[in-house]
Amino acid sequence: MSENKIQVKNLTHAFGDLLVLDDISFNIKNEEFVCVVGPTGCGKTTFLNLLTRLIIPTSGEILIDGIPADPKIHNISFAFQEPSAFPWLTVEENIAYGMKIKKESKDVIKKRTDEVLNLLGLQKFRKQYPHQLSVSSEQRIVIGRSFAMHPDLLLMDEPYGQMDIKMRFYLEDEVIRLWKNFKSTVIFITHNIEEAIYLADKVIILTNKPAKIKEELEINIPRPRDIASKEFIEYRKYVTDQIKWW
Amino acid sequence: MNNKNILIKQILYLVLPVISVLLLIVLWFFASSVNRVLVPTPGDVIDRFVKTFTNPINNQYIWGHIWASLRRVLIALFFSCSIGIPFGILIGWNKTAEATVGSLFELIRPIPPIAWLPLIVMLLGIGEIPKILIVFIGTFTPIVLNTATSIKLVDPLYLDVGKMFNANSMKLLFNIALPASMPAIFAGFRTATSGGLMVVMAAEMIGAQEGLGFIIQRGMDAFDVPLIMVGMVVIGLVGVFLAVVTNYLEKLVCHG
Ligand SMILES: Nc1ncnc2c1ncn2[C@@H]1O[C@H](COP(=O)(O)OP(=O)(O)OP(=O)(O)O)[C@@H](O)[C@H]1O
Ligand SMILES: [Mg+2]
Repeated sequence: MSENKIQVKNLTHAFGDLLVLDDISFNIKNEEFVCVVGPTGCGKTTFLNLLTRLIIPTSGEILIDGIPADPKIHNISFAFQEPSAFPWLTVEENIAYGMKIKKESKDVIKKRTDEVLNLLGLQKFRKQYPHQLSVSSEQRIVIGRSFAMHPDLLLMDEPYGQMDIKMRFYLEDEVIRLWKNFKSTVIFITHNIEEAIYLADKVIILTNKPAKIKEELEINIPRPRDIASKEFIEYRKYVTDQIKWW
Repeated sequence: MNNKNILIKQILYLVLPVISVLLLIVLWFFASSVNRVLVPTPGDVIDRFVKTFTNPINNQYIWGHIWASLRRVLIALFFSCSIGIPFGILIGWNKTAEATVGSLFELIRPIPPIAWLPLIVMLLGIGEIPKILIVFIGTFTPIVLNTATSIKLVDPLYLDVGKMFNANSMKLLFNIALPASMPAIFAGFRTATSGGLMVVMAAEMIGAQEGLGFIIQRGMDAFDVPLIMVGMVVIGLVGVFLAVVTNYLEKLVCHG
């Protein structure tokens, strides 16, 4: 197996005449946590939809473990930008849903569901329905559902966009915990620079539409990270300056 | 605005409905005092209602008539659900079905169910089957329509969740589109129920031997206005009963 889990080669996408992604290439290592930052409307969601094959790219290639990305072969999970827990299923049924589709055994489903419920502190809500929980808990169900798949690649599209600062900090630590526990490879989209630097091994900065890669930046700060530390603030200032260039 | 004003408003909203009902009753008594034969008093109606338990109308007590109407509506609802829900799913999910049978349905749909009555009576007579058929026509449309629309308009986000897990289209339909549509299907069922009661009344007023529509018709023939009103009130109560049962079923089936 190559060292690169994900290889994106010359990815280009246009909706009709509207060029959204322009010749994007990068690699992601196994078990790496990558954050993508870019301005609103630059094509971040489109990029993730291409990775999951919900949209077929105009040109370019996405390889996972050296094979073209294919939901039939690869296990790709997606935590959507909007709350997407099924209102007709309980919390635990929601978390188990993807595994059921993939026909995992009953034991595996049970074990991983319990694991996720424990990590997210949702055990006491397992029999409840999403609407009985707060919006932030609803989004945690979605994140739990994604991790429980043991995905080859986990995509998260601004999952914390709607939440206040305090809840964000809490959930960011939670996502790090799940990531370490399940050893997933994660692409996390955000337009919050602080969030990106707090979470990522590597930050990919996109330009305005049509999106190109402005820079790939390794974040070499040991975890757990302190957002008030000198090096954190330096990274944040650097990325902010990169974005001001547009 | 200060608290006192808010309190006064709240009390007002509590009292106003009571006043309206009282006003209606006063008006009713007033109308009765003008012409008691055409407008019997509430007491007359209650007396007449009590009598329906002891004096049969056309060999049936009130329970028999309630059951006759209810039975017709329930049988019709049973068939319109078991045919209408699959049919609605088909035309909501499948573009080809929507274009073919769906457009035929669209063509027939605007005809009000009661307009079918004469044709059906002429073709099939005044037995039990034509009555149920006409109620079926009235209940079928809202069920198909609600099912088809909600299956068609199911939030693409939910379908995307299934697609990303690589669910096949049968799973997308039965695991996602259908449960997501349950509340709308129940809304259709509710419309169908009240429509069904309306149609059964009309059907029973044309040559029936039992049922609440028959009672009303009989009241008219015999110039027994209290009996007409008994029929009206009881069919209203049957409607309330069905609504309560439907709400209960919905709570049982959908939790969202
Ligand atoms: N299905 C589509 N058809 C046509 N244009 C589209 C479609 N989806 C997205 N676009 C356009 O592509 C551009 C990028 O959209 P996208 O949703 O990927 O942006 P984004 O970076 O995720 O934005 P946000 O920060 O608001 O989530 C936008 O200009 C949008 O209008
Ligand atoms: Mg987006």
